[in-house]
Amino acid sequence: MTVETYEVFLKKDGRDEFRHAGALDAASDEMALVMAREAYLRRAEGDLLWLVRRSNVISADREFVAPNADKPHRHHDGAAIAARRKAAREGDDA
Amino acid sequence: MSALREFLLAFADDEHLMGQQHTEWIGVAPFLEEDLAFSSIGQDELGHAVLLYELALELDGAEATDAAVDALAYRADGYRSAALAEYVTTDWAEALVRHWIHDAAEHLRWTNVAASSHTPLASIVDRVEREERFHRLHADTLLDTLLATAEPRQRVTDALSRLAPMVPSILTSVAGEDELVTNGVIAQRTDELVPALAAAIEQRFSVDVSVAAPSPGREERSEPFVALMARMREVFDYDPEAVW
Repeated sequence: MTVETYEVFLKKDGRDEFRHAGALDAASDEMALVMAREAYLRRAEGDLLWLVRRSNVISADREFVAPNADKPHRHHDGAAIAARRKAAREGDDA
Repeated sequence: MSALREFLLAFADDEHLMGQQHTEWIGVAPFLEEDLAFSSIGQDELGHAVLLYELALELDGAEATDAAVDALAYRADGYRSAALAEYVTTDWAEALVRHWIHDAAEHLRWTNVAASSHTPLASIVDRVEREERFHRLHADTLLDTLLATAEPRQRVTDALSRLAPMVPSILTSVAGEDELVTNGVIAQRTDELVPALAAAIEQRFSVDVSVAAPSPGREERSEPFVALMARMREVFDYDPEAVW
């Protein structure tokens, strides 16, 4: 008997998306469903359930992701411009 | 009608002891997922016990307050539980097999009152069976896996052979059930459901359990009961005057 790890996703009815709720180990897909129901849906946390075998998840390591962490020019939340405008405004007041 | 009261209490007492003992696996079941599932199922069984105790209180003309339900559930005398539900085990295989047997018996018992002339009883069957369907799915899914491999299969069947003598107890009738059949409260005597349970066990485990041994009725408690009830009442008895 081999045990697999499953990632658990839940979705509430309405416009919410599926969200990761946690993980569990089970010996079969059927058992994973039964266990997920008790471990993650005891308090009606969702209306729909997805299970994904962790072995089917395609993942990237930190090294692959890291070069994108240091590029402030790709952040367009407007913070830099807002700060400049604020400084300019305060300069006018002076 | 005292036969109905006896019938409700016997059913409720079985559910109560099974629910209590299932929930005790929290933290010590063989794996985390099962630990949660098994104790969660135990909570459902406790819920079923409450529904049945409430029906008994209704018959008495008493208000079904939490305190009244507790007083019935933890009464010192007049318990009507089955030896199978009173049995205390720390062996996981026995706990799992008993869970399956109890749920199979429960299914027969609820079906037996689904069209009851006592409408308050018939009216809770749908709700209870909706939960029971998942209890059976849980136990069957687990057993499908365990019975497919030699060592677990051996453990499960050994546990079954130890439990087998207690199997008929869960379907022992209470006094006066013939009257309940006549009045349409139950479809047939509870002990007439034994062959169906034996057939289900044989189909599930491919083991022929001899369940011909007569059960001594529900008046007498089996040996583990006193210690089990004392343990269940332990905190309450520590200070009976305490307000919860």
